[in-house]
Amino acid sequence: MPADTSFSTTTSPRVWLNWLVFAAILLALPVIMPNSYWLRIYALTGIYVMLALGLNVVAGFAGLLDLAYVAFFGIGAYTFALLSSSQFNLHLPFWLALPIAAVVTMACGFVLGSTSIRLKGDYLAIVTLAFAQIFKLLLLNLDQPINITGGVNGIYNFDVIAFGPWQLFSPQAYAYLIWGAACLIIIGSFRIKRSRYGRGWEAIREDELAAAAMGVNTVWMKLMAFAGGAFVAGGAGAIFASFQDSVFPNNFDFPQLVVVYCMVILGGLGNIVGVIGGAVLLTVLPELLREYGAWRMMTYGLILVLLMALRPRGLFSHIPFLTRRRARPDKAVGNRLQASTDLYYADAQPERTLTPATADGQAGRELLFLQNVSRHFGGIAAVTDLNFKLYQGEILSIIGPNGAGKTTLFNLISGIYAPSSGAIIFNGRDISRDRPHQVNRAGIARTFQNLRVFPDMSIIENVAVGRFGRTQAGPLSILLRLPRHRREESDTLQRARRILSLFGARLTGYRHHQRASALSYANRRRLEIARALATDPKILLLDEPSAGMNPQETIEITRFIRQLRDRFGLTILLIEHKLNLVREISDRVIVMDYGRRIAGGSYAEVACNPRVIDAYLGKQRG
Amino acid sequence: MDAIWQQLPQQLINGLTLGGVYALIAIGYSMVYGILNMLNFAHGEVYMIGGFAGWWTLRLLSQNGVPILHPLAVISLIIVVAMGVSGLLGMLIERIAYRPLRRAPRINLLLSALGVSIFLQNLVLNYQGAKVRFFHIGGLIPDSLQVIRIGPVVFSFMRVLVIVICLTLMAALTLVIKRTRLGKAMRATAQDVEAAAYMGIDVDRIIVVVFLIGSALGGVAGALVGLLFTQVDYYMGFQAGLKGFTAAVLGGIGNIGGAMLGGLLLGLIESLAVSFFSATYKDVVTFIILILVLIFRPWGLMGEKQPEKV
Repeated sequence: MPADTSFSTTTSPRVWLNWLVFAAILLALPVIMPNSYWLRIYALTGIYVMLALGLNVVAGFAGLLDLAYVAFFGIGAYTFALLSSSQFNLHLPFWLALPIAAVVTMACGFVLGSTSIRLKGDYLAIVTLAFAQIFKLLLLNLDQPINITGGVNGIYNFDVIAFGPWQLFSPQAYAYLIWGAACLIIIGSFRIKRSRYGRGWEAIREDELAAAAMGVNTVWMKLMAFAGGAFVAGGAGAIFASFQDSVFPNNFDFPQLVVVYCMVILGGLGNIVGVIGGAVLLTVLPELLREYGAWRMMTYGLILVLLMALRPRGLFSHIPFLTRRRARPDKAVGNRLQASTDLYYADAQPERTLTPATADGQAGRELLFLQNVSRHFGGIAAVTDLNFKLYQGEILSIIGPNGAGKTTLFNLISGIYAPSSGAIIFNGRDISRDRPHQVNRAGIARTFQNLRVFPDMSIIENVAVGRFGRTQAGPLSILLRLPRHRREESDTLQRARRILSLFGARLTGYRHHQRASALSYANRRRLEIARALATDPKILLLDEPSAGMNPQETIEITRFIRQLRDRFGLTILLIEHKLNLVREISDRVIVMDYGRRIAGGSYAEVACNPRVIDAYLGKQRG
Repeated sequence: MDAIWQQLPQQLINGLTLGGVYALIAIGYSMVYGILNMLNFAHGEVYMIGGFAGWWTLRLLSQNGVPILHPLAVISLIIVVAMGVSGLLGMLIERIAYRPLRRAPRINLLLSALGVSIFLQNLVLNYQGAKVRFFHIGGLIPDSLQVIRIGPVVFSFMRVLVIVICLTLMAALTLVIKRTRLGKAMRATAQDVEAAAYMGIDVDRIIVVVFLIGSALGGVAGALVGLLFTQVDYYMGFQAGLKGFTAAVLGGIGNIGGAMLGGLLLGLIESLAVSFFSATYKDVVTFIILILVLIFRPWGLMGEKQPEKV
């Protein structure tokens, strides 16, 4: 089995070696640069690497199109400029002004983010663009009535960086300082990407709603991406200001934004090595092609269009020796060719793994209580005056014709919709106004009828996302690899493996590292259940778990659902159209039609209820 | 304060002219958004190129600042050429930059649009240079009509012309959309692309037509601004694009009537901001409106709030 590098919190010897080589090159380059001009380019490249990696957090990891990004670069630079110059005679030392600039910028990122984070893709882009324009107008015009930004003339002549008696001003020293900072950002990028944060962002990028339903606090995570990106941009801005010894509004204008975006996209959104490559390429190449300067921006535009059409994952994607090899889907351990269905039956009994949820209450206790719940969309009443109780340890099925409001009911319980009226009481608390991630963390997990796995994440990562709400490591813990983060990561990995092993060999072994998009329909259903189980639920909401499964697989999933209750103490609410399955496992059945409950009771009772027969077959004439 | 009140009718006229132009730009955004659900970032550049097309036509048709044809013919030709050039450009952009990405994630489409915008802007910069190009409209309007004075309000004939042209185009577009077979197909496609395709509508063709019409209107707006303010430059599309988008959002994006209303409203707001507030920060006012609308009423004044589909 390949090592689970995506969960590793230690550095392997091989990686150490890579780092040593990288560091040696970085140290050697300033010495062998032919002249101060190229030394300057070298330093500038480091700044762009930082900038691009910061943007990569926002746009690459979290998928937020933040067009105010360069404004954050500017906020950092101007903050530094104001703190460390004669503008206000503050003259703070560099080592104090730099962190202040970064933190101020982060705070700005947080504020901007909190105003606009609920907006979807294009709207977010345009709002951030508007903010960037306001920022630029302020830079240009805040030289009156009191001179703050210096207007078009900017601010210049900053204090020399001094650490005690040492003064740092030679180009070489700057090159080392800048690349030192860039290395920190690079390491930080790698660490954050392979953490619960990285997975949370990726989940949001792939399917925001599913991420929220799995316990990811999407608003908070997006804010963190904004703030994190702003922090990096602010720090880079301060260093840039000191390096250039001046700041002008033009340094932070739209073309600059485009350049940084091109770097990130050329490298591939989210691909750290690629983004570094993109930054280096797009800083050095224009210098080599200097006489074509006028065509530079035009080329950037063309690059964007062509990349999006031809290589949307970046220049460096799918190059065999640069990307991690994924196991062949049809070859198991030992290189034997096998079909996935054989694997299941070859496998032994699934081990007992989940902690029973019955520990905190006896069976038969009332766990979920829906009180006169209604939801209408405009004039359409999707659910009307629904009342029912779900008892601990039972399997309750909801059936009814298409459009009866079953899935709306699930969306109401899981917090995706708020009820128009009524209350949903879980464990004695009204959760009807909770957001999806809160409902999930309270102990209700769901699957989706229309399959919302995270297609580009590996199977084990999909399940690991389910652990998001049950782990706590914050950014600092992740960046410094503090014990809590290490503990949680190994725990996440182990649990994910154990949960996947519940499905026999269908989702284990080589499958762990396959993309979810490579899975069959039925296996995606299983993966959704596994992902929901990883959130440690008390109640599991299954929306048509057997849809798309053949008769054999339906029998298997029926058994599996019963096992979840019998062996692991889960309470299950089920929507299903296959009545055989419903008859097989339900303790009780509720029938819905036109948003109302029309019958309830045991399967046998509802099956001969005339109203149910009418709803399914239509009224008999005459 | 009195001075401001005296200026008011004047500013209203100015606002109405500006608003008409914004509305024309906004329509292009809204039409494209209605069908493709994308923000056509390059629309501002299409507008800018419309302005340049107008400038170029006027230059061809003038000798030493005197038009060689009847002024009305010149103005008509300016508008027709601007519409043609921009419309074709819009179609080209759709074909090259957007159609290959129709199934791609939204962020890709948006970035591609951004790329087109940068490309066009710098293309014009490279061929035309950064300097402002002037419309020599002196010969187009007889001296007696240069300045029209009604009471305290002073305005040029050109303003009246711009308002009339804007309103005429909007009325014509409304007729096309409401009354024709093509309009019906456009409305159907805007509601549901797939369903429209199943009903036998050639969706690709409708999308091309939408780009053609939207871009042509944007191009006219560019030419009209050239005639009105007598100058164009390569950078004018960026700001105007943002303004047009703001107008579209204000009215409710995807809603063409909303785009018209939003444009007129934004023009008025901006003119009033100049008189009551400060000219330096008039753009800030626009952007703050944009931000507030997007945050608090993203479906706009005339759009409908739609529940999220799960």
